[in-house]
Amino acid sequence: MLRPRSWLGALQALPRLPRLSTQHRSFSITPILPAKPLPPRLKINDADLTVSYLKGTGPGGQKINKTNSAVQIIHHPSGIVVKCQATRSRSQNAKTARSLLADKIEQKEKGGESRVALKAEVARKKKASKMKKTRRKYRDLEGKEGEVLEEGLEEAEEGLEEAQAVPKVGGSGEKGPAS
Amino acid sequence: MPRIPTSVLIKAYQGTPLLPLLLQECRTLTSARNELRWLRERALRDNQPPRLGSPGWRTRLKIMCQQRSRGVPLQYILGDQPFGDLEILCQRGVLIPRSDTESFTFQAAHLIRQMALESNDTPSPRRQRPLRVLDLCTGTGCIALLLHALLAPNFEDMQILGVDISPTALTLAQKNLAHNMHLDLLTNRAVTQVHFHRADVLGVGDESESVPKIQEVLREYFPRLENSDGSASEFECDLLISNPPYISTADFRNGTTSRSVRRFEPQLALVPPNTPQSEMPDGCNVEDVFYHRILTLSLQSQSKLTVLECGDIMQARRVVAMYQAMTTDQAKEFTMEVWPNSEHDLAAHGFHPHDGSRCVIIQRAR
Repeated sequence: MLRPRSWLGALQALPRLPRLSTQHRSFSITPILPAKPLPPRLKINDADLTVSYLKGTGPGGQKINKTNSAVQIIHHPSGIVVKCQATRSRSQNAKTARSLLADKIEQKEKGGESRVALKAEVARKKKASKMKKTRRKYRDLEGKEGEVLEEGLEEAEEGLEEAQAVPKVGGSGEKGPAS
Repeated sequence: MPRIPTSVLIKAYQGTPLLPLLLQECRTLTSARNELRWLRERALRDNQPPRLGSPGWRTRLKIMCQQRSRGVPLQYILGDQPFGDLEILCQRGVLIPRSDTESFTFQAAHLIRQMALESNDTPSPRRQRPLRVLDLCTGTGCIALLLHALLAPNFEDMQILGVDISPTALTLAQKNLAHNMHLDLLTNRAVTQVHFHRADVLGVGDESESVPKIQEVLREYFPRLENSDGSASEFECDLLISNPPYISTADFRNGTTSRSVRRFEPQLALVPPNTPQSEMPDGCNVEDVFYHRILTLSLQSQSKLTVLECGDIMQARRVVAMYQAMTTDQAKEFTMEVWPNSEHDLAAHGFHPHDGSRCVIIQRAR
């Protein structure tokens, strides 16, 4: 009587096993390889920039309620000018313009090695692989469908023969009295 | 208002049938296209997820464009306006925050930070109490809230008070405080550090109306903690900032004030009340009545920095002259400037070179 109880006690004293998260359980055996890291973002020296808010023509203040929120950034060493009016927020537009400018400068400096070019390359490869997969899938499907179609055709032909056979019989029957 | 060229109209009709509607208020094709994009984004967002029985986003967009063509401000249609990194809710009866005011607020925050750094080099007992900011005629509360967002990383302890006479504005300001905290654009400290209170800045209102006088409110919120310098004032603050009503009755009617502003924004926030010339201080224009009052408060509260938005350079110069006349005996204690003044600052902040709003910055030298 005592033994099972002590055994139960031992069981309860076992540490709880860490639960396997159901969300991250992978059924694939191929490990997920981390993507090749992109080079760090280009740091732009603020002294090289002229950031200005464009408000269109005419005065502002209480008398006129303007909705223009365009931001323009000029990068003096390269002469690149970037303008952004994506949102109604000037500070948001300034941030967007900065990252656009960084991309442009990098592309000009590094060419194929720049973040934009690398990203475009990755996207291009992904698309090519996707297209390849699609083509393969439809080629396989077409092959299978061709088989199915041929089988169907054979069946239909058989059916035709049968159908033709009936009038033949009938025909022979009709022909019978005529001959 | 100049006519819209026919070529532009034709181009607008070739785009989408909604573009000519927006062109009536926007006047340029670029601006109309931008507004159409923002309105469409909002119509699509409001329709997410699509509901049965309610009109679709296209109908909603068309209604919004029709409202805009009648001159309803974009911010009243959309219900908000970005101000710095904040999202300020807008509604009828309360002035819409302008981008000029945004620039002045950034400049004020920049200066107060600079002044705090300088005073840290020479330790003074005054740094004991929290930084006090007073925003008169606060409206949506945009200046008070943006100052909190900008100064929170530098100042642990702050007291920001926004004052307005309009109960509608105060309700909206309170709503804006909660809204921006909900969006995580303001820190949790804002709820205890920013306050909005009703008060009459001019003090000319009827006795029957129970609007508290500004001095009473200031005595309660910003009481003087130390009476060492033996001055007579009972309250003090560090930064006094204001965007008071500054449009003259003539300018409100003669076409310089745009149709949309005139018809849809509250006159209470734009034009100072008509005070009889006999009751005005010497040599003060009717449209400058708020500045006279605020400058008096600035002197009484011994504010270290005073930033006042003005309609144009002429008005800004009148305010500077007014302050010089009030402080003839202690002129060396203050530095005054009209900002933005340099060509670089004007261009960088998108100000018109010789027209449009400016601000007067008064710094108390130590």
